[in-house]
Amino acid sequence: MGDVVSILMSGLFSAAILFLVAAGLQLVFGVMKIFNLAVGSFYALGAFFGATLVNWAVGEGLPQPLFFFGLLIAGILLGVIGPVIERLLRPIYDRDEAFQLLLTFAIVLMLEDITMMIWGSQPRSTGSLYLIYGTVNLLGATVPVYNLLVIAAAGTIAVGIGLLLSRTAFGRVLRAAADKREMVQSLGVNTRRLYVIVFSLGVVLSTIGGALVIPVTATMSEMGVELIVEAFAVVVIGGLGSMRGALVGALVVGYVTTLSINYYPPIEMLVIYLVVIVVLVIKPRGLFGGETA
Amino acid sequence: MLEIKDLDVFIQSSHILQDVSLSVGESELVCLVGRNGAGRTTILRSVLGFIRPDSGSIKYGGQELIGLAPYEIASLGIGYAPEGSAIFSDLTVEENIQISTWTRKTGRSGEERIETALEIFPVLRKYLRRKGDHMSGGERKMLSIARALALDPEFLVLDEPFEGLSPAIIPQVAEGVSAITKMGHSVLMAESNIAHVPEWAAKVFVIERGEIIFEGRPAEVYEHKEVLDVIGGSGNDERICTT
Repeated sequence: MGDVVSILMSGLFSAAILFLVAAGLQLVFGVMKIFNLAVGSFYALGAFFGATLVNWAVGEGLPQPLFFFGLLIAGILLGVIGPVIERLLRPIYDRDEAFQLLLTFAIVLMLEDITMMIWGSQPRSTGSLYLIYGTVNLLGATVPVYNLLVIAAAGTIAVGIGLLLSRTAFGRVLRAAADKREMVQSLGVNTRRLYVIVFSLGVVLSTIGGALVIPVTATMSEMGVELIVEAFAVVVIGGLGSMRGALVGALVVGYVTTLSINYYPPIEMLVIYLVVIVVLVIKPRGLFGGETA
Repeated sequence: MLEIKDLDVFIQSSHILQDVSLSVGESELVCLVGRNGAGRTTILRSVLGFIRPDSGSIKYGGQELIGLAPYEIASLGIGYAPEGSAIFSDLTVEENIQISTWTRKTGRSGEERIETALEIFPVLRKYLRRKGDHMSGGERKMLSIARALALDPEFLVLDEPFEGLSPAIIPQVAEGVSAITKMGHSVLMAESNIAHVPEWAAKVFVIERGEIIFEGRPAEVYEHKEVLDVIGGSGNDERICTT
């Protein structure tokens, strides 16, 4: 029983991180119709910056139990790169998807180099800081409280996004803009400003994902590219542009990854992409494809 | 109120609009009639800021619109109901109308503005909770105009409000347009069917191949056989919009 619960919680943790990144991808695609490969780089930036900020803050006297909030703040602070990257993407808004993929992949490569320039190639981590919160015993499984905090944070963010989109005027404007861009302009919406906000929100979701994952792993220069592959599987399974799809897709990929790693690691990607193929054959637009944001 | 002067629009190498001039006065309904591809929608899209004309001017209340973004033009009080209705399919009917009250603040409250729109098209009250994509073609047209009205505009641009509607629905939409002009709004309406032009319209402009070829009262169009030949009308058309 303990092993099953351990796998369940581990899968949920992976899904929580994947959801944050995929939600950023879906938000940007849903509203702006840009498939932004650079989410992987934002995730990596979040991890590097999160590790650096938390290590610095703890060194400066930040009470260790507050490091979780330090990671969240690191992710939020990185939102400042959103308007800069969004400005770079403007010329390709109405261009073919191939241009979007090329330009966003170019941004991936540029950000990877920038990350290397700033942080070098040495892995960085927050050491055993995440154990400061201790562990809990869940039906025989020992689960770090930090993992539960991350799952709760991702769940809260998922609920927050759902409420934002369904209950607020801003969310309804976003859904309208995702549906008919010209029409919302004719109703007085400055879509240029809206895009800056949406893109920055997408960046923050990805950077928070990267920052929150770092206590249980270590930074690697290629971590962004690896995540793009998984995030791509999440959105294909869930359906491009759908938030519900991001949630379900993240759960599927999170659990497939965890099960593969536990039982036979070499087939991790093979199984993920088998699931992708099966979903594409049965539902070519993904499980929730066609939904707005 | 709106004055278009010597407008020229090229799209790639095609001269789409040639020296187009027209005007819409306070509380006037002005109709722009022409066949598909004649240039009607290009004129409307130029007014709305989606196309930047190569020369000429478009003045609204004395202010030049050319160079302004569509959202800036909307915020000046120009509402738009496009040909395909462009209803936000994922939002309810109520949300479709409400959205205009969030995007443009005026002296009137959102509730007042929504109430005005629903008074013009009372049939929409029955469907307030229904999703936009569950509405019929006629209901979408009414919703599209109601949404434009909820922006609290002084000027409305209607692109083919009667296109594709069943004869049973056309009178409801026509009554709505009539009520809107009676409220004091100015309206520029594009139509491909001369029979849809209300008799009480202040002026009709007929456009063909990007040029205005006729300007006059609606009844006068029927006195010009060469104009009727161009727009495919006849003196025997059943004029269904005569409120």
